Amino acid sequence: MNNYAGISAMLEALCSAKGVSGAENTAAQTASEMLGRFMTVGTDALGSVIGRKEGKGPHILLDAHIDQIGLVVTAIDEDGFLKFSKCGGADRRVLSAAEVTVHGKKDVFGVVTSTPPHLAKPEDAAKALPFEEMAIDIGLPKEEAEKIVSLGDRVTFNGNYLQLLGNRISSPSVDDRAGIVSILRCLEILEEKEVDCNLTVMFSAQEETGGSGAQAASFAAQADEAIAVDVSFASAPSVSSEKYAALGKGTMIGIAPALDYKISKTLEAIAERESIPYQLEVMGGKTGTNCDEIQVSGKGVRTALLSVPLRNMHTACEVCDLEDIENTAKLMAEYIAERSAENA
Amino acid sequence: MLELIKELSTLSGISGREDAVRDYIIDKIEGYAEYSIDALGNLLVFKKGKKPAKNKVMLDAHMDEVGMIITAVTSEGYLKFAKVGGINSKVFIGRSVKVGENAINGVVGIKPVHLVDKDKEDAIPSADDLYIDIGAESKEQAEKFVSLGDAVYFDSDFVEFGDGFIKAKALDDRVGCAILIEMIRSELEYDAWFSFSVQEEIGTRGAQTAAFNIAPDYAVVVETTTAADISGVRDEKRVCICGKGGTVSFMDRSTLYNKALFDRAFEIADEKGILCQPKTYVAGGNDAGAIHKSRGGVKVLTVSVPCRYLHSPVCVIKYSDAEESLKLIKALAEEFAVC
Repeated sequence: MNNYAGISAMLEALCSAKGVSGAENTAAQTASEMLGRFMTVGTDALGSVIGRKEGKGPHILLDAHIDQIGLVVTAIDEDGFLKFSKCGGADRRVLSAAEVTVHGKKDVFGVVTSTPPHLAKPEDAAKALPFEEMAIDIGLPKEEAEKIVSLGDRVTFNGNYLQLLGNRISSPSVDDRAGIVSILRCLEILEEKEVDCNLTVMFSAQEETGGSGAQAASFAAQADEAIAVDVSFASAPSVSSEKYAALGKGTMIGIAPALDYKISKTLEAIAERESIPYQLEVMGGKTGTNCDEIQVSGKGVRTALLSVPLRNMHTACEVCDLEDIENTAKLMAEYIAERSAENA
Repeated sequence: MLELIKELSTLSGISGREDAVRDYIIDKIEGYAEYSIDALGNLLVFKKGKKPAKNKVMLDAHMDEVGMIITAVTSEGYLKFAKVGGINSKVFIGRSVKVGENAINGVVGIKPVHLVDKDKEDAIPSADDLYIDIGAESKEQAEKFVSLGDAVYFDSDFVEFGDGFIKAKALDDRVGCAILIEMIRSELEYDAWFSFSVQEEIGTRGAQTAAFNIAPDYAVVVETTTAADISGVRDEKRVCICGKGGTVSFMDRSTLYNKALFDRAFEIADEKGILCQPKTYVAGGNDAGAIHKSRGGVKVLTVSVPCRYLHSPVCVIKYSDAEESLKLIKALAEEFAVC
């Protein structure tokens, strides 16, 4: 068992709730209920969950995306197999013989087909199939399949929430439920410390398909500053430890031309002062996160990025260290407490 | 039989580590037959029938499953492994696995697709680059939980879905084991000999000694075989079709089956109203490859339950095919005992 039972329970509940981009449904509802403990919550036109709590200091926007990558059904073939396309950055290399859930009129179990060995050309053995050559097997003939599944239905990857050694866990959709949990944990800390602050929290829809949710929701919020929490690459045997963060070694503070350098430096100074483990993640332009949309929304928003290190991103076995979530939450809470006091 | 298939498929037993499967089978057949275990670990069973058999008929199903074996722990605490049996890495990369007798959770990692060059987005990492991550922060920590030689299993539950389908790991060949257990627990017309064989997946090694020890005249291998009745595959390339019953082979990569027995199987099925189909593609191989060459030669036949996505964590069969196969195999055993 790990040392972060509260964080682990939240993360497990959120990872078990499904919500692919544009159909964030169950995940958004679960996150909305969790957020409702701290503030008034609503949902906007694109499906983002928005919480608002007025208080002292600058209006700070906290963002994490609620959608997860998945697949979308594009056709049902004559034998009842479902053809599909990706919805978000699904990785073809991990699809063969993957277990999935098709979110039709009801949830249906399925398996992604894999090439039978007698039909596999030797040169293709080490190649992932194109999407159009794969299909989902739900074990039903076409007419039965059509009663449950319709085109546009989303598909999620099955995978259990697994405890690994120490504080590490594995699950699908830790990207970005780890960010959601970081924010919820941050709100807990702020509540414990009785910090009076002025917050909008958005669990934004459609990040994995380009950030539409964050763009719309941050325009509506018109905050003074924003911190987005996402996941980013942790080193592994195939991912250089010289270039990428280490799992379990702290939250990643983003530094990039498209981020507010002053906030990044303030976060770094606070982490030093409070002895919160952190790592710097330096990027050469934009960040590939919701920050890219938030910064330029409306009149413009001073925006920072914190990331939870993650292995195997966009697979059914994403791995994170719960301690990194705790440290992300702590740093964010310290920053909010400080800013709220300054401007009080 | 569904419960047997469910329980058998969740047991762990890569080639050479069939102990848990064998213990389970012994528990199920105790009191119904006599049995012994040979030097390799094959479970050899003799079941008395109502009448003595003129010919000695051996029924074979293998107990082992494909998986992996831990070969090293890296300085950073990752586990390196070798495949046991023929598995394409595609079916387990980015998936969770269970390591060792304590079923430690692990995941087979992959470089995130975001960091892969555009022209290499479809390249499956080579076997040498694969590793299992159990969350260890160091070699020392990993070694507290894992030893070299530990077996690795796919993390896959038993699921019933669709129109009578089952998904599980190791249906190859625990379905065969379940069919033979059912036979042993039922009343048989004639004496029959059974082998629950080891080490099929690494080259039909168990069946070789099992057949030598039993010395049969006839053998029926009870297996699963590739069903390629999936999207986009047509005609004979489908090999066999889920829902059309047990699959009888005339030839595969390891055996030329006795043509008279092959033809007779369809006549019997027809007489008794049992669903069965021919295997329409020459591919694969099984214990028949070892059995037919045993001693002075054995007349063999294979009856397979059609199985999609063989050798993956998600073997899929249609349950009715297992029931039809059981009927056919019982009928064949009766026929061969006195023919």
